[in-house]
Amino acid sequence: MNRRDILKSAALSALAASVPLAIPRWSMALAQDGSPIFTLAHPAGFPDLDPATSFSNDGAVLANVYEGLTRYIPDKDDAPATLAPVLATGWETSADGLTWTFKLREGVKFHDGTDLTAEAVKGSIERTIQIAGGAAFIWSPVTAITAPDPTTVVFTLSSPQPLDVIAASGFAAWIISPAAMDKDNAWFNAGNDAGSGPFKIDRYEPGQRAILTRVADYWGGAPEGAFDTAVFEIVEDAVLDQNMIEGGQADWTYGLAYENLDALKANADLNVVVNPSFETLFGMYNTKKAPLDRPKVRQALSLAFPYDDVVSAGTSGLGSRAKGVIPSGIWGHDPDAPVPNTDLEAAKALLAEEGLTDSNLELVMTYATSDTLEATAGELWKANLAQLGINLILQPMAWEAQWELAKSDPAAAQDIFVMYWWPTYVTPYDYLFNLFHSEEAPAYNLGYYSNPDYDKLIDDAAALSGTDRTKAEAMFKEAQRMVIADNAAVFILDKPNIHIMRADVKGYQDNPAYGHVVFVNELSR
Amino acid sequence: MDLVRYTLRRVFLSVFVVVGVTFLVFVVAQVVPSDPAALYAGPRPTAEQIAKARVTLDLDAPLPQRFVRFATAMGTGDFGVSYKSRRLISQDLRVYLPATLELASFSTFLALLLGIPAGVIAAARRGSWLDRLGSLGSILSVAMPTFFFAMLLQLVFSQWLGILPLAGRLSQQMSISDPLPFLTGFNLIDAVTAGRPAVFLDALAHLILPALTLAAYPAGIAMRLTRAAMIEILAGRHIVAARALGLSAPRILFGHALPNAVGPALTVIGLSFAYALTGAVLVEIIFAWPGLGRYVSEAILSKDFPVIAAATLVVTLCYVMMNLVIDLTQTLVDPRVALT
Repeated sequence: MNRRDILKSAALSALAASVPLAIPRWSMALAQDGSPIFTLAHPAGFPDLDPATSFSNDGAVLANVYEGLTRYIPDKDDAPATLAPVLATGWETSADGLTWTFKLREGVKFHDGTDLTAEAVKGSIERTIQIAGGAAFIWSPVTAITAPDPTTVVFTLSSPQPLDVIAASGFAAWIISPAAMDKDNAWFNAGNDAGSGPFKIDRYEPGQRAILTRVADYWGGAPEGAFDTAVFEIVEDAVLDQNMIEGGQADWTYGLAYENLDALKANADLNVVVNPSFETLFGMYNTKKAPLDRPKVRQALSLAFPYDDVVSAGTSGLGSRAKGVIPSGIWGHDPDAPVPNTDLEAAKALLAEEGLTDSNLELVMTYATSDTLEATAGELWKANLAQLGINLILQPMAWEAQWELAKSDPAAAQDIFVMYWWPTYVTPYDYLFNLFHSEEAPAYNLGYYSNPDYDKLIDDAAALSGTDRTKAEAMFKEAQRMVIADNAAVFILDKPNIHIMRADVKGYQDNPAYGHVVFVNELSR
Repeated sequence: MDLVRYTLRRVFLSVFVVVGVTFLVFVVAQVVPSDPAALYAGPRPTAEQIAKARVTLDLDAPLPQRFVRFATAMGTGDFGVSYKSRRLISQDLRVYLPATLELASFSTFLALLLGIPAGVIAAARRGSWLDRLGSLGSILSVAMPTFFFAMLLQLVFSQWLGILPLAGRLSQQMSISDPLPFLTGFNLIDAVTAGRPAVFLDALAHLILPALTLAAYPAGIAMRLTRAAMIEILAGRHIVAARALGLSAPRILFGHALPNAVGPALTVIGLSFAYALTGAVLVEIIFAWPGLGRYVSEAILSKDFPVIAAATLVVTLCYVMMNLVIDLTQTLVDPRVALT
């Protein structure tokens, strides 16, 4: 046997060996046929799994592993929004709104076997406050936490705030096991957890997937046919996400192109669920720079905005016209707010009044690179403004750079700052304070709007929102109308939450208070 | 002896390259308009959080002092934490770097395996249908955009034929039912050391499509270069002499002609390996491959400077080493290449 023969026979035997390897059917639908595995194709990774500092897409994983004291349940049909008890079974506030007492659920165990106690709640929130990262600022009104007995936690606040709503936040409000209090960020990000939720983190492969398995004896129980395993596959490519959901390799995804949704809706294996979100798109006018320091010029720009076209072209008609900055589904939303409608003639007249007819005015609008909805809005607005002799310069920027420019010198900054806002916890104050309350140094009020009457009104309303929510809501609505009357911003649209899932998944309820979070325990097949 | 001296000198010179790159990365980070403290403080930080982050990160220290601290950290492999996620960068690199190295090595192997023999055969059968087919193939593989080729492969091998997985490094069932302990981070190696043939095959199957996509370009170029060089060499007198001596055709082609012709092709393939370390972002995204390219591109978009710096340094090291390996290989294959 010479060398060539050896090579030949080696090649042949390799070929022969490879045939009976029982090649798995890769396109096989993993997710079908009563499989106890629920697979989520997530278009974004999970940068931080530390419950104290997580402030990003990681909330999707943590919400299945950890629990807070309460959970926000949005309004549905005629039922108003409420707070559901989770680790707390009841709570009350003192008449001045400065003391909050939470009664804890009994019989709850963390995944490591320790019991839920008042000390665990106190320790968790103190750890979050002490690390002071992520959304820890939601606890800034808290001056002291005490645990008078094992099932009672008392919070003392420096100013009256709705602590029951704050405790329902999807970030920085998770309660962890006392055994994990001294663990650092690296411990959590290695795939360890210390929660009490229906699932525990079994395995975390950064950049690839997180595997969650059901814990035995979860206090909340589970529906019949509930899933044993939840797998979060990190798949950044939207085409691949779509492939996976169509092929049955994933049960749930989001972030697919709007123009593909009609085809997905026609697919009997899939369910396309459209819900409102708490995410709203708007453009803040630079009120400190000519010519947008003049309210009438701002009004003219808002009148020239093609609201309906942006909803139809940018979101395939699934978004809804924004009525101010507080989106529908959240308390304080004002369905009858007097927002302007597209009216080019009126805009032209206003500009003429201001001496800006055919002025060849140049305005710079900054928005986030790669955000197609913002780009579409900009292009359509630009076309309308061109008819009024205004040249809108569209300037896409990385968020950090866009923000940096806006925070520097208002006189040298952009004319219009386009961005989305969503609340850290569900209160109109989050929108109204961050975006329009006077600021010494700009942080998020990037139109530099300043109105002392407005400031006082929302601060007073916030103080009332823990004790008299009806009155607070009316004040918030009034404040929002002040911003609308002053044309501080152009309110574009409320973004829809669109989730695509396999048709055999039952029990899905989108909760806009927790963006793109699936509570897998509620689902079944 | 020459070899040792040559290697030592190259390693010595590489130190300057690495230090230079470290300095450049630091300078660029100072020039780019961005506030690291704001980034570190989280997605929606308050002014107090930003101020606290400035102190934590010691951003107000004088520049030279910060450079020294930065260079020392880089030199000791302590890359610090990511501004964006606050995770330890060394912890992240332990996962992302092996994933990319595995993909890049496998694709380099494929490029060598496909490109060079194809070039040899095309040169030997010059003008035949094999040659024309090879030329067409090489032009297509070079000209076709990566993302398109990737999607084509996914469509054919995964969606239609169903014989290879769509994306990822290991299939989900494997991770759930038979998780692979993390040892080196190279799934193929880890599977072998753990004695898990099923995991090995699963990992291999996941490697094929992304590696083929990455290999297309260098394989195409290598084929063209090898073919051109071979044609020139096959006309040489030593080949005529070899034929006259009655040596077999494969022996002449691969034993006598190829070593003289393979130099440029090796260089291209070697450089493409280095390129694949961070340049394979598209491939990594399309195949959901948790690699360095994806890690760095995310860091660049958010100006996560420590991650960019660490990755740049690691890639520079790989690049320098790869260059050295190519040069040494060339001297071994073709002794005419002088060690200078």
